Amino acid sequence: MAKKIGVYVCECGNNIADNVDIDRVIEIVSPMRDVELVEKYRLLCSEDGKEFLKQSIQEHELTHLVVAACSPKQHELTFMNVCVAAGLNPYLFQMANIREQCAWVTTNKEEATEKAIRQIRAAIARVAYQDPLEKKEMEVSPDVLVIGGGIAGIKAGQLLAAPNRKVYLVEKTSSLGGKVKGFEKLFTDMESGSALVEKEIEKLLGNKGVEVFTDSEVDQILGFFGNFEARIVKKPENEEHNLSVGAVVLATGFDLLDISGLSQYGYGKLDDVYTSLEFEAMNVPGGSTDGKVLLKNTKPPQSVAIVHCVGREEKGYCSKVCCMYSLKFAKMLKSQLPDVKVSHLYSDMCIPGKTYQNFYEETKGLGVEFVRSRKTSVVQNGKGVTVKYETEADPNGELTVDMVILVPAMEPCSDTNKLAEMLGIPIDDEGFLAREHQMLAPVGSSVGGIFVVGCAQGPQNISESIVQSEAAAGKILSALVPGRKLELEVKTSEISETFCAGCKLCISVCPYSAITFDEIRRISVVNEALCHGCGVCAAACPSGAASVKNFNSIQIYQEVEELLK
Amino acid sequence: MESNESSTSVLVIGAGIAGIEASLLLANAGKKVYLVEKASYFGGNVIKLEEVFPNMECATCMIAPKQQELLQNENIELLTLSQVESVQGSVGDFTVKVKKKARYVDMEACIGCNACFEPCPVEVDNEFEERLNKRKAIYTACAGALPNVPAIDAESCLRFKGEDCQACQEACMFEAIDYDQQDEEIELKVEAILVATGFKPFDLSKTSQYGYKKFDNVYSDVEIERICASNGPTEGQIILRSGEAPTSVAIIHCVGREEEGYCSSVCCMSSIKITHFLKHKLPEIKVTHFYSDLCIPGRAYQGFYEEVRENGVDFIRAMPEEVSKQGKGVVIKYKAEDGKENTLNVDMVILAPALEPENESAKLAQMLGIPQGNGGFFTEKEPDLDSSVDTSQEGIFVAGCAQGPKDIPDTVAQAEASVGKILSLSR
Repeated sequence: MAKKIGVYVCECGNNIADNVDIDRVIEIVSPMRDVELVEKYRLLCSEDGKEFLKQSIQEHELTHLVVAACSPKQHELTFMNVCVAAGLNPYLFQMANIREQCAWVTTNKEEATEKAIRQIRAAIARVAYQDPLEKKEMEVSPDVLVIGGGIAGIKAGQLLAAPNRKVYLVEKTSSLGGKVKGFEKLFTDMESGSALVEKEIEKLLGNKGVEVFTDSEVDQILGFFGNFEARIVKKPENEEHNLSVGAVVLATGFDLLDISGLSQYGYGKLDDVYTSLEFEAMNVPGGSTDGKVLLKNTKPPQSVAIVHCVGREEKGYCSKVCCMYSLKFAKMLKSQLPDVKVSHLYSDMCIPGKTYQNFYEETKGLGVEFVRSRKTSVVQNGKGVTVKYETEADPNGELTVDMVILVPAMEPCSDTNKLAEMLGIPIDDEGFLAREHQMLAPVGSSVGGIFVVGCAQGPQNISESIVQSEAAAGKILSALVPGRKLELEVKTSEISETFCAGCKLCISVCPYSAITFDEIRRISVVNEALCHGCGVCAAACPSGAASVKNFNSIQIYQEVEELLK
Repeated sequence: MESNESSTSVLVIGAGIAGIEASLLLANAGKKVYLVEKASYFGGNVIKLEEVFPNMECATCMIAPKQQELLQNENIELLTLSQVESVQGSVGDFTVKVKKKARYVDMEACIGCNACFEPCPVEVDNEFEERLNKRKAIYTACAGALPNVPAIDAESCLRFKGEDCQACQEACMFEAIDYDQQDEEIELKVEAILVATGFKPFDLSKTSQYGYKKFDNVYSDVEIERICASNGPTEGQIILRSGEAPTSVAIIHCVGREEEGYCSSVCCMSSIKITHFLKHKLPEIKVTHFYSDLCIPGRAYQGFYEEVRENGVDFIRAMPEEVSKQGKGVVIKYKAEDGKENTLNVDMVILAPALEPENESAKLAQMLGIPQGNGGFFTEKEPDLDSSVDTSQEGIFVAGCAQGPKDIPDTVAQAEASVGKILSLSR
């Protein structure tokens, strides 16, 4: 069928007309191949303008449309809707921005007109080669797999479970509750962590839509947003469960940095030098000391040093919550042993937010000592241990105490990295799972439909972890409405079976893990549900097999050639 | 939207980054969203920033796609120049009265060509630009502000003062200027409410020791953000009020922290960001930070701090006692860590103020029946131990800096969390 391209130039009141010689534009572009008509209109985006455009498309039986007007950011969608109303595929339409990029960037009318002509010619040349595209939809599963049964995972499960939405919660240990279960007191309310977790577990399990797999690990996850297939392995019999879910929430939590390699702190070598988690455990009733803070010789300590920021330099980040829980330790010590002398060795007090400073002031009020210091080390001393440090005033500071609590940096738990590898989610410089967008998608990952929450994605406090769980729930509830289909990106990449040499370069560069290799046909295949149409594969492909729909080489060359002619 | 969920609607108060994110997610789930914004534009505090830490992404470019998506989303009704007047009812059935002030410009007819600005004879201080330049009585907040439709400020417009001026109407090719537009009262029925009213900086006029508003060379960090902005009053040129570029700058952290009684979480990072900006534009500039405790929490910030510090920036652990005038610049008096009195001469001082909740928070808190805690921020239902987006009122949630000072990712997370809560309400 012969092409009939309609070109419409908008005067935009006088905004374009004043600085672009529209009649000259019409004269120049009219003779171009396949151009059926070129017309100008006072304001195409007005109701009258849209109606005129629709009727004109129908009357002239146009096959392609070019609108030369403002920025496509402003009105591309407006004119695409006009195409639909006129019965024209909206992807056979191209906009030329002759307002922001021509009329408004120079006072020289001749220059503006020349540039407008080039841009319209380029649009005409490219539109002739554009393909009609169709929006695609996909059936989705509303169900969700949550990995990790700590407070973040529990809260995500609570919010997501509903009569029409199942939640599968997978926990590698034998019980739910994660780290918080082992915290006798939580800052700032000094309530019991185990009691809090018990209450939340009860709430979760009261929900019929929740199925919990303890002693289980996720072995494989395949698929994409809306349609994941996950394989769960439950110990000890290695019983396999296959689940179909629409989304996955990773809530695998944190571990403390292993500080046995940091020999200056004496950990593992000296008696009565503990990590923060060991100190937490000591405070739990029913534990080895039944909740009493005791030295190895079973006597209560008379002096305790809390050393902040252990391993911060090595990790290269501040773990955010350690100052606060160190203050909490001081309070716990003071409440159990009112005469104990507590000293904090810290560099910067990091107590962000509206409520923490009060807690700090309260702790200071208990007679706790704060020593702003650096280069801390711990050595054996006859009676106890000596903490050595430098301050601004004294390069040889020393403090002899009965007990030292080391506060190590937090890092994502080892399972997180294993999962990341399995899912193809990159790890950032600090060792955490990279976010979909640093600022605007704090719980998204580079793989659509897989969310990362809580300490798996960075050190944070309980409240922040819960917020992230709920944020993931918000994103999932918004996208996976039961019974509704998911709309897919239209301008995705495609790989020509004929030209693909099977070099897999595209697979290695795709940031969305949207390309897989078909071993039988020996070619790369794009999963349209995962592809964002970024075009990285098209740029990398040495054989020209990969291209992005409506951004293929012919279309781009046609456009560039006319621009530069 | 064919689903029957569209019969339910949500009110979002405040169209900053939190309100935008929540509205988009709610609308995509099929909710009708009323997004109420008191300003004539939307985008909140973020659009005042040239770049955001730590990756120095252009703030406007970052949120513009979301703004466009929002303006084109048929499920979202953005009500600018609007404020909530009253709220009645309970979860699932709130009745809200909103007062929408007249813009005097027809949103449908106006195409945003700005032809009306030039002929307007009135010039007043531009609040958006921290009064560093002038605007007309018919204006948009800044180049690129959305929606791209100006508003007439009736308080300074000659016509509304009784004079016979119609310069803007004569200049408009689209008959978009409508002097007869009236304020409207709109009644909304919603099932849930999200408060996302954001923050404002601590009022620096409450401090006297730093010479703010007394000496020309002393700026607030918001003023500097606008001076750094390519669409700001100096088009991104770092210059003093005298027009000269500064050769030395001191940044004073934690201004107002003592008065407020809390750490505002983001000021250390934003001060480091400003340093990055200054060093980028003026590589020879000498920058000195005065701080007490450096708060750069989380995985992503220390790397940025170290990168900036490597550029030869001084960090002095001291809160200055006084800033006074000396010659063309100022002199800062402080007690160094070793206890000795010291001074530093600089061309420019930048104050990093604490963050406070927005002005109308008290009125809104009362209207909604939500208590205000430390600093006047909206109090969450269970501080520390549960989600921070729940309030004491069922069906009313709070997100972003209205709940407490925080960075952009934490703000977005709270907005998304509120959506999670709202979408799980109705089942």
